[in-house]
Amino acid sequence: MSNTTGAEKQTLLPATTAGAAAALLVVGLAGMACAAALEYGRGDQWRYFLHSYLVNFCFFTSLSLGALFFVLLQHVARAGWSVTVRRLAELLAANVVVMLVLFVPLAASVLAGQGTLYPWAAPHTAAADHAIEQKQAYLNPTFFVVRSVGYLVVWWLTARYLLRLSLRQDESHDAALTLSMERFSPLALILLVVTLTFASFDWLMSLWPHWWSTIFGVYYLAGAAVGFVALLIIFTVLLERAGPLTDQVTAEHYHDLGKLLLAGVAFWGYVAFSQYLLIWYANIPEETAWYQPRHGGPWGWMSLGLLAGHLALPLVGLLSRWPKRNRLSLTFWAVWLLVMHWIDLYWSVMPAYDPHQPPWALSDAFCLVGMGGVYLGALIWRCRGRSLVPLGDPRRQEALDFENY
Amino acid sequence: MDAHAHEHPNSSPPVAGLLAQFASPEALRAAAAAVRAAGWTRWDVHSPFPIHGIDRAMGLRPSPLPWLVLGAAVVGVVLALAMQLWMNGIDYPLIISGKPLLSLPTSVPIMFELGVLLAAIAAFVGAIALGGLPLYGHPVFFSSRFSRASTDGFFIFLAADDQRFEPISAQALLRSAGAVSVETLQVDEASGRVPGGLYWILATAVVLALLPPVLVTWYRTGPKSNPRIHLIQDMDFQEKYRPQSASPLFADGRATRPTVPETIPQGRLQADEHLYTGKVAEQWVTTFPMQPTAAMMERGRERYGIFCTTCHGLVGEGGVSGITSARAVKRREPNWVLPLSLHTQSVREQPVGQLFHTITHGVRTMPALGAQIPAEDRWAIVLYVRALQRSQNATLDDVPEPIRSQLRPVSP
Repeated sequence: MSNTTGAEKQTLLPATTAGAAAALLVVGLAGMACAAALEYGRGDQWRYFLHSYLVNFCFFTSLSLGALFFVLLQHVARAGWSVTVRRLAELLAANVVVMLVLFVPLAASVLAGQGTLYPWAAPHTAAADHAIEQKQAYLNPTFFVVRSVGYLVVWWLTARYLLRLSLRQDESHDAALTLSMERFSPLALILLVVTLTFASFDWLMSLWPHWWSTIFGVYYLAGAAVGFVALLIIFTVLLERAGPLTDQVTAEHYHDLGKLLLAGVAFWGYVAFSQYLLIWYANIPEETAWYQPRHGGPWGWMSLGLLAGHLALPLVGLLSRWPKRNRLSLTFWAVWLLVMHWIDLYWSVMPAYDPHQPPWALSDAFCLVGMGGVYLGALIWRCRGRSLVPLGDPRRQEALDFENY
Repeated sequence: MDAHAHEHPNSSPPVAGLLAQFASPEALRAAAAAVRAAGWTRWDVHSPFPIHGIDRAMGLRPSPLPWLVLGAAVVGVVLALAMQLWMNGIDYPLIISGKPLLSLPTSVPIMFELGVLLAAIAAFVGAIALGGLPLYGHPVFFSSRFSRASTDGFFIFLAADDQRFEPISAQALLRSAGAVSVETLQVDEASGRVPGGLYWILATAVVLALLPPVLVTWYRTGPKSNPRIHLIQDMDFQEKYRPQSASPLFADGRATRPTVPETIPQGRLQADEHLYTGKVAEQWVTTFPMQPTAAMMERGRERYGIFCTTCHGLVGEGGVSGITSARAVKRREPNWVLPLSLHTQSVREQPVGQLFHTITHGVRTMPALGAQIPAEDRWAIVLYVRALQRSQNATLDDVPEPIRSQLRPVSP
């Protein structure tokens, strides 16, 4: 690119959008306050609020984790095609630091020792239940909080390192930085998958302290990958229209992002079914306990809805070439799958609150808007003054010239 | 120009086409666009690697391969489902692990695998077939330059069977499109023809390949005096210890292990003397260890029908009333002893404990059935035998009052 300074200016967020960060933060805090106010009247020691909060906490964390996974994967594979959309993923991944702040209510509830969210956190539950008592060495409030903070810090530092090197490259155009990131990524990828697995065990699986599934971490990772790629597609379409990504992405990039989305859908379906089939086939009470409430009644319908909406329909819808290259149809499926990913997490968490039927409440919407506002507000704040395309990456021209065979 | 085309205007063999070499992928792409614009249909490009946009430059339509692959995948999925439904649900219904006969989740892995397998085969075979392969020979291979098509050469071949083919104008077209060299290729009759021997080899291979399935089918359909062919030896003849065989592993050389002394296997403790032996203090018991019920009588009737009727007959009169006994007599089996009637005085006077003992351990030529029939079921059979005995030796007092009037005297 001959006119580098011009390109740099073009790839910044428009000034009007940058101003929206504060507004989003205000909306987010207001939404959270509304949800808390609504839930205060329920008088259940915040039991419902915490479950609803956990759904959204896991949802927004997964978006950052999917982004971190994506960035590491691009470096491990030495991918050239994805350079122009990689900065968005780097910024999204670094945004995981917000979740460190948003983890405070969860930590407080666990440390309070009431067992309102996690049954094992209450001393009397553990004392009465031999299996939980035996797991106290791992499942105890202090260790839980230490671990959770540890995961979030590891992710934040990993993402921050990658973002810093990438930003430094914007100035220096130094190809050695790319090599540094490529050397760093394989180990970081292993660390990410291990921490992500244990995070899903701690945050989601320990809602049923008797139940275990070794593939559960992969299930959460698959959902995170789908959610993140969907969000990346939505952001790319919006930013291409708004300016920063104009002339940076082509139908070829959408085609490849669509392929990743399709792969994520198949990955999620494969893992979800692998987990289900073994447990269903062995039919051992202690293993089927997790699926039992999800097998009939309203939760059963939601399970079938996920089978159709999170697997069958997008698999067929994204299979052909044109829906992946067409911005409108790809955006449709991205929005669809982002919603499905949220429902998947709702379906993972909420039967712990009510095993009979989905306990929808108005505060769910406020909680989603609240946490979404904070997350997006912080993200836009993070984008301020930074190029949304890694202008100094030596493979940028390759990404611009990229064509699918 | 080093176009060393073999020009033999009078006696030359027919022309197969023109081969033009280009310097770079970009030149090849531009030339392909020019050839396409000139309206050619019978032509192709050759390059060491795929070139972006060459399909658009050549005006190739999208390949039908994806549809072939999708079709094969769908066929695989449906075939796998139908196969499992037929085998597990209809042809040989077998309940495994308490799952339904027609169960979708258990079928999914096979549906997935067969779908992937057929899709992969369709992609592999389809790509080869759509590319016009296998092809025994092609005129371009008679060009010495063409070997560079796998390293750094970029070529266009115009076939002579195109309607537009005319040597002079075609040469001009290629040169104006930027060809580095243009070569006229002749049809080589001798080396372009598939040797006849190849067909014979193929035919022999097909016949040989068909022999095993034909032999297996022949052996498996209808009775044969020789044992059938064992295709999978280690499934038909498994390496395992059979009862009473020897094993060098143990000091006593026996493969069958006796129970560890002074132990009783789980669930085999038989502490209840009454229930398990029919004796109390070395005396036959005269009562049942459990309260007889209508359900127990019904169970006894069913078990008696399964284990006893083949010899003793449906009502227990022995002799040839059971089908095994009848057949043995019909075949004049020399050692066959007729089973006793259960209605003789001596059997009727036996205490229930002794009847139970007889079923458990057998008596004279009657085999022991204690291993096959659980103790509770043996008691149920004893109860039913008692009912049979009473039915065959009933008095008028056994007939309920209301229906006595319906009885008619039997003429002697």
